[in-house]
Amino acid sequence: MSTDTTTDRPTREISVTVNGEEVTAEVEPRLKLSDFLRNYVDLGSVRVGCEHGVCGACTVSVDGDIAKSCLMYAVQLDGKEVTTVEGISEAGSLHPIQEAFHEEHALQCGFCTSGFIMSAREFLAENPDPTRAEIKAALADNICRCTGYQNIFDAVERAADNMEGD
Amino acid sequence: MKPAAFEYHSPETAEEATELLADLPDAKLMAGNQSFGIIMSNRLATPDHVIDISDIEGLRYVDVGDDAVEIGAMTRHADVEHSDDLAEVLPLMPEAAQHIAGPAVRNRGTVGGTLGEADPAGNHSCTLLALDAELAVASADGERTIPIDEYFLAYMLTAVEDDELITSVRVSREAFPVERTGMRFTVEKRAAQTWPTLGASAVVRVDDPDADEPVIEDARLSFANAADVPLRTHDAEAEVTGEPLSEGLLESVADTVYDAVEPQDEMHADETYKRELAATFARRSLATAYDRAQGLDE
Repeated sequence: MSTDTTTDRPTREISVTVNGEEVTAEVEPRLKLSDFLRNYVDLGSVRVGCEHGVCGACTVSVDGDIAKSCLMYAVQLDGKEVTTVEGISEAGSLHPIQEAFHEEHALQCGFCTSGFIMSAREFLAENPDPTRAEIKAALADNICRCTGYQNIFDAVERAADNMEGD
Repeated sequence: MKPAAFEYHSPETAEEATELLADLPDAKLMAGNQSFGIIMSNRLATPDHVIDISDIEGLRYVDVGDDAVEIGAMTRHADVEHSDDLAEVLPLMPEAAQHIAGPAVRNRGTVGGTLGEADPAGNHSCTLLALDAELAVASADGERTIPIDEYFLAYMLTAVEDDELITSVRVSREAFPVERTGMRFTVEKRAAQTWPTLGASAVVRVDDPDADEPVIEDARLSFANAADVPLRTHDAEAEVTGEPLSEGLLESVADTVYDAVEPQDEMHADETYKRELAATFARRSLATAYDRAQGLDE
């Protein structure tokens, strides 16, 4: 990566709303959304795991729907809105799902956590009172290699209880 | 894991997309990018031009008419999964859609994309084969339709030409009157993000849903990942047609399916296991579809 071979390639200017703020950048078409969010917008919650759509660590919300950001290119985001974990609560405070992950010890190394939280957030918005089986199905895109998942499912159940009436 | 460089094009209509396809050398269409993106990331595909059709709103619709159902090629798996109209008239499709990967993939992956990819394990390919769908394709030269039984030519090879774009898929409702048709999609996979080990679509139409033993007027049975293309088993269908479904009939159909499928060995599922699974799925799917045709559910 030491040599910049991209200088003569065409770029596009994009304007994306990231966590409520407009970001404008010149990007090469092949730049993945995941790399854009990490390297251009400095959002470290977006984890780059497998980089081919399997692990779910890079899951973000695009125009209100979760997507694996390693399977989108930044050029596709022109005019769209992206939300990452940094944008789901006020700085310094935890979202109820984050709180529940903390309470249930739903993470060990934490690499997968932001992806799980983004998936759980969309799911709970549509299913405020889910069954265990529904939670499992909703988190099917995300892989965790530490916890064995049980604590994650517990955390989403707890978050659903805590968020009741929101 | 980073794709090779490409030039990006984002047409707003299908017509613009077909013109770009005709004009640009070494161009590939990009739909939801949930499979193509993997191939690009691994540099198994390194096209000079990528034509992004995922945001063409005119290709994203589910239109349920009295005579036919038409689904735009850029309709997301999630759109199919949550379509109340489809759940009413072609419940096989939402039932299969909900088994595609997880929610993030279903939010982006498209019906046209999975048909274009033509993976033999694709859920929509399996259901649309059972439903006798017709694909509409367009190029700069015009439009044509392809019956789905002429569409899958060989492993991941289809009747669509390089300069053509799948615009929609159409299913005639004539063979599937809601009040006496039952459908069932069954699938086995090791984990959500893996390809199915095997999938099966069954559709059953009976003569009189209120009879004690309704006679099957029409049956469809197709399989995902049971051959190098999505596979419809006409012999098995013929076997159950014209009679009420019985245990004996299910046993004999299972035997027929065991012999009819042509599965490949996989690391976690050898050929014999997949034949047995196909036979089991044939029995279960047909039985459930038959129950559903009578308004009974499992």
